[in-house]
Amino acid sequence: MANQSGQVYGLTILSPILEDNRLDIGHSMEIRWYLGHLPRDRNSPFAKISSTYLARLVVMDDVVYVGAPACEEHLKSRYLVFETNFDGDLDTYLTTMARETPEFVDSVWKHCVGYPGLSDLSAFIAYMKKCQIETTFFFADVNNRTVQKSLEALRTQSALAHFIERHQGKSAAEIQRKFGALLHAMASAPPPVPGGDESQRTPQENRPHE
Amino acid sequence: MTNINGKAYAMNAITPMKPWKTPILKLVFFLLGAIKPLQKDLKNLSFIHFARWVVIGRHQFPRLSGQQPSEELQYDYLLFFSNFNGTWNQYIDAFSAVLSKGLDLIWRWSEKYPGSRPVTGFKRYISLVQFDTDYYYNVYPRAATNDVKAALRVQDALNEFARTSQSLSPADFETAWLEFLVRIQPDLGSTGVAPIGT
Repeated sequence: MANQSGQVYGLTILSPILEDNRLDIGHSMEIRWYLGHLPRDRNSPFAKISSTYLARLVVMDDVVYVGAPACEEHLKSRYLVFETNFDGDLDTYLTTMARETPEFVDSVWKHCVGYPGLSDLSAFIAYMKKCQIETTFFFADVNNRTVQKSLEALRTQSALAHFIERHQGKSAAEIQRKFGALLHAMASAPPPVPGGDESQRTPQENRPHE
Repeated sequence: MTNINGKAYAMNAITPMKPWKTPILKLVFFLLGAIKPLQKDLKNLSFIHFARWVVIGRHQFPRLSGQQPSEELQYDYLLFFSNFNGTWNQYIDAFSAVLSKGLDLIWRWSEKYPGSRPVTGFKRYISLVQFDTDYYYNVYPRAATNDVKAALRVQDALNEFARTSQSLSPADFETAWLEFLVRIQPDLGSTGVAPIGT
């Protein structure tokens, strides 16, 4: 199935956005405003949906006209594009979304046509699946590990590099003893936090786009 | 608008295709999926976490209510979503230089596609069909996909070393430790802020 590569699932959803010309601020703008203020680090709702690697939300206003002799055409609805890459199966992921981040899901999808709310989980899952577009080709560079394993490995890499740097030139017995302590510390450490810490980022990292 | 989170860039692009060309493109993707060696260049570029192409037929845009107007489109559309490391220019340059034939095979069915070489026309086309991301989440913002792969190799090597070195004497440990360091040395680079580029 093209939605999957190894253990990673690539979900693509297009949800039509409500249109109401009587509103001062349209639904698509409401979504953009909400998303513009949503944390993107460990406080992101996706950090609670812990099987997520990378995810994006995009308001697609229209299709693109590439110039003559192509025909110019336009969409009659705007669409919210939800693109996410995660471990595991779709039903589990959508269930976790609904249970762990109900405020986020409601705040975004309440602006979309046919959104049933979260009081009926099966109705929400059915709604998302109606909006799902089958991925035609999906590429995942690392597709045989989990998010947690990758985060743990990054922490191990950093800890080991520091350990080696600190213990250069010391006796084998001391390195062996300290290495045992390092393994124990890593085994008993709490799980790594996904999403990083935006407050610790440099202005360069927080640049919005190019 | 936020196309970047840490070391990852979220690209979205949409291109129109005449419907009779859609089955040909789907066949191309089928072959690309079925014949793994065809993905070698994409894999070897090693700066894409995840990428996907989604063909959406002109009648396939979700319609969830009678009040929602039906789309009346003449074209099918090819959507492209990529999560890559580096800057936009680096990405397009590398795509054009390394994957030129593969890209042309995928996008030649789209209207007005100029080809991936020379790169100037290709960049102009991508700029035209790209649309910006409103929200982007990255589980490991300071890690490129190469960092993740290196870290996983370090983790595997460490697990093995921890298992086999437990009962060694200090002298044997020293030998094994040095061999271990030589083995993992190429993968010990630290993660952090991405370099500034254009």
